[in-house]
This record gives sequence, structure tokens and C-alpha cells, in this order.
Amino acid sequence: MPSVARRRTLAPYAFISPFYLLYALFLITPIGIGGYLSLTDWAGLGTPLWVGLDNYTRLFGDASFLSAVVNTVLYVLFSVCVVVPAALLIAQGLNARGLRGRDFFRLTFFIPVVLSPIIIALVFTLFYDREYGLFNAALRGFFGWGGIDWLGEPSWAKVSVMLLVLWRWTGYLTIFFLAGLKNIPRELYEAAAIDGAGRVRSFRNVTLPMLKPVTAFVAVTVMVGTAQILEEPMLLTKGGPGEATLSVAMFIYREAFTRQQLGYAAAAGVVMFVIVFFIGRAANAAFGVGREK
Amino acid sequence: MSALQTKRAPAEPGARRSAAPRSKSPADRRPRLVYVLLIALVVMFVLPLLWALSSSFKHRGDIFTYPPQPLPSPFTLENYTRLLETQPFWGWFATSTIVAVVSTAVSVFVCALAGFAFAKYRFRGKRLLFDVMFSSMAVPFAVIVVPLFVMLIKAGVTNVYFSLIVPWVAPAFGIFMMRQYAEQAVPDSVLEAARIDGASEFGLFTRVVLPLLRPALGALAVWSFLNSYNSFFWPLIVVSDPAQYTLPLGIQSLYAAEAHQVDLVLAGSVLAAIPSLIMFILLRKQLLDGLTAGAVKS
Repeated sequence: MPSVARRRTLAPYAFISPFYLLYALFLITPIGIGGYLSLTDWAGLGTPLWVGLDNYTRLFGDASFLSAVVNTVLYVLFSVCVVVPAALLIAQGLNARGLRGRDFFRLTFFIPVVLSPIIIALVFTLFYDREYGLFNAALRGFFGWGGIDWLGEPSWAKVSVMLLVLWRWTGYLTIFFLAGLKNIPRELYEAAAIDGAGRVRSFRNVTLPMLKPVTAFVAVTVMVGTAQILEEPMLLTKGGPGEATLSVAMFIYREAFTRQQLGYAAAAGVVMFVIVFFIGRAANAAFGVGREK
Repeated sequence: MSALQTKRAPAEPGARRSAAPRSKSPADRRPRLVYVLLIALVVMFVLPLLWALSSSFKHRGDIFTYPPQPLPSPFTLENYTRLLETQPFWGWFATSTIVAVVSTAVSVFVCALAGFAFAKYRFRGKRLLFDVMFSSMAVPFAVIVVPLFVMLIKAGVTNVYFSLIVPWVAPAFGIFMMRQYAEQAVPDSVLEAARIDGASEFGLFTRVVLPLLRPALGALAVWSFLNSYNSFFWPLIVVSDPAQYTLPLGIQSLYAAEAHQVDLVLAGSVLAAIPSLIMFILLRKQLLDGLTAGAVKS
């Protein structure tokens, strides 16, 4: 029977061990195997054939992969430049003093996150329908013309995916901003008002600096999340037309599971890992997310 | 302009005493404008759901019409009866529910245990271990998908439940959330008192800590239930036998079929959304507050 003090030293290790066991098995091991596979040519049967860095050189010359990277970068930029500010604005609105029904609004805006992406994508497919969809019908109703080929024309298809991203994630980010805004002491605004600051200046001088930690969290979440975008383009457009909406995650899926190029897919995975992981780490370090104390 | 004038009339004198006079008119106009915008957003967020609900009661031919008809006429339950008669809907539902419930139970336990250890013990390597755990959140899912799939195949794992549940029961986000909550919700004095009474460390966790963590446990439970119940990508990869499909896979298979069985898909989507919405509505406050607690802790 170990002493009380000894039990107390060992207990935390025992408590965190289930996590690290799973972590080693289902995260570290796959990353290692992925690294190895990326250096091989393998269709899933027999022994992987060692090819060195061939997959990587092939990747950088692969037009599909490059357009997947460009599309993914566009999605990330859209999230950071449009979805995040939209969420912040909505949160500002929700934080208005004396607003009634705040919880109702907050809940409603959160609903998209609760639903399965397949359901959401299906409804949007109906909306985007060129002849019978609600979007074109609304355009016809308001402007007398609405013949946009939402999912069939390359640039509109990108827009359609982005609109879906906007619809699906804005409410989720809003709750973080709202919680952050509620944490800002009223006195700071009152002090700013006494100093003669208008709405814009107090937003810039009080709200933004005070929201920095939340903004950092939201920005990192959004970047890392959107960099992995898969469901929206896959379910809405299958990456098409052509490869106009293909994302990196979809590219990996396609190479691995429809074309059986497991080594090649693993290489694309490694490239994605390096980019996302370091963006995430750099952003975390810059903003100090998760490191208070 | 006239609406603005009436609003500015003495309706709410001194509502913003501290504001400079010049900013008065936008300040008074603001609440109404805010409501208009927020209600417009509610419409945007709810419309797709209502549309799906309404369309699920339409005849197949009425789903695509021009101009679009908001309400089903005639109203029919045929899509639902046909879905339940021709598709193993309840089988999909059972698989999804079992997977979601088991993963939720296990992951809440694992995360609470680890989160408690990080919050309330001092131990060597804690900082490093925490950083290692935390940075795993930045590992893209798409990266481990291929090798993990290969591993499971090579290890001869054919049990769908194992593949769907086990790799995902210890999300770093959950541990982070639990640590944030445990730090402020579990007073050291309570732990010391229980130790003096002779509680073992694990007994301390189950009898003292878990009850104190209850709100956060609820939040994590909904979060992990929804994640699992709605997940699409991983099941798409590991489940190949239609008899073992989860709900999202089943619905997707209907839609991917040659004829795009939109009528059945809509009925299935509505039914599949019910448990998520119920879960969410029951535990909404805990979920929203719990999710944000970690991010905005001052």
C-alpha cells in the first residue's frame, strides 16, 4: 500500500494516462504511418513501394492539388475576413443594452451547428437549384431576373460554398464574441464616453483590445477549421464543376478512397499537416491562446 | 424619416445620459434597428429548416415547382411512410444513437478525469504534457484519416462500433474545457477536507469532483453527442456495409442514388434532426456557456 503522499504524486499521471494512451495510438501512430506512407507508392494491397520524395514532387506539379490549395486558401480568407467580422457585428447587436430575447436570438443563430451537415447541404441544394430554387426565385421576384447557375458555374459555385460556410458557422462564432463582450466592464465604455469617444472610437479603443483573447481563439479555430473544409463542397458540389470548389481535404479523400493512391494521399496529408499545424502554433503563440497563468 | 421622428419624441428621456448630445439620434434609433436586423437574421437561420420541414410533407412533384410554394398542398405523409417502409431507417438511427451515446459517456469521463488532473494537481512535466495535448487540436483530421484507416484494416478491426467510437473518445478540446471549469469550480479546501476524511484520489474524483463539474459535464456531453451523431466524414470511410450505416450515411446514400430521392431524403433529414434539436434545446444554456467559458476566461 503506497503512502498517501505517493498516491498523490502518482494520481495525476494515472488520471491523464487514458488520454495519452489514445493519443499515442490514434494520433501519433497515424501521423508516423502517414509520414512513412507518403514516401511510398501503395494502392492498399501488397507491400508499399518505396519512392522517396516522388509523391511530393508530383504534388507540387499537380494542377488538381494546386487548385485545391488555392480554393482552400480562398475559403480560409473568406472565413477570416467575412465570417469572423459578421459574427462580431452580430454579437455587438446582441450585446446592446436592454435587448430583449437575447437568449432566443443566440439559440436560433446556433442551430446550424447542431444539425448534420448532410441535412444542411441538402436544403441548400434545393435553394440553389437553377430553375426551382428559392434564391433564383427571390432574385426574379425582386429584380425580375434570376438565372444564376449557383452550383454549375465555377465562380458561383465557390460563392455558394462560401455562403453555406457563412450560414453554418457565423452563429457558432457569435456566441464566443458575445461571451467576450459581456466580460468587458461597462465602466470602460463610460470612461471612454467621458473622454468624448464616439461609437467608432470606443469600439476601436475599448472593445477590440478587450476582445483580443476571444478574437484570437475564434481566429485560430476558424483558420484551423476552414483549412480542413470538406463537407460543404463535397455535399454541395462534389468539388465541381470541374475542380472549382475542390478543397485539400477533399483532394486527400479522393486520392485515397476513390483512386486508391494511398501514398500520394498521405503525402498531401503531410503537406496539409505542416501548414495547418504551424499556422495553428504560430497563431497560438502570437495570441497566447490557452496559456493564461 | 417619420419613424425616426416619432421614436425621438420624448418616449425615453435620459436613456443615455452620459452620451454626448450629438450622438443622441443614432443611439435612440439603434434598438429598433438592432431588432430589425436580428429578426432578419432569425429568418435567415430558420428559413432553411422550415423549408425542409414543409417540403417533407409535399408530394414528390411539388418539391420542385416554380414559383416555389411555401406550404405543402396537398399535404401528405407519404414521404415518411415510404421512407420507413422501404429503408432501414430505424437501423441507421440505432447505429447513430448507440455510437453517440457510448462515445459521449466515455469521452466525458476521460476528459473530466484528465481536466481535473491538469487543474488541481502539481506534477512534473505538467506544462509540457499540457502543451502536447493542447497542440493536438491543431492536427487536421484529414491528415490522420488515411493512415488511421490503414491501421484499422491492418489490425483486422472489422467492428464498426470500435472504429466509429474508440479513436475519438479523448478530444483535447474536452480536456481543455474541463480544466478551465475545474480550476474555478473545485475549491482546494474541499479536496483537502475529503483527503483528511480518508478519501482515495479516485474516490475524490468520483464523489467530490464530478458533482462539482456537473454543468461542464452537461456541456461536454451535448457537444460530444452532437459531434458523434452528426459526423459524416469518418463513418463514410470506415463503414462500407449498408446494413451498418449511420443516419448521415443512410441519408447520403439515398441522395447519392441515381434518382436523387429528395422526397425520402427530406423526410429522413427531418426525423434525424429531431434528436439533435431536442438535445440542444434541453441543454442549451449549459452548452453555450460551457463552450465559451474556456475561451473568454479572464
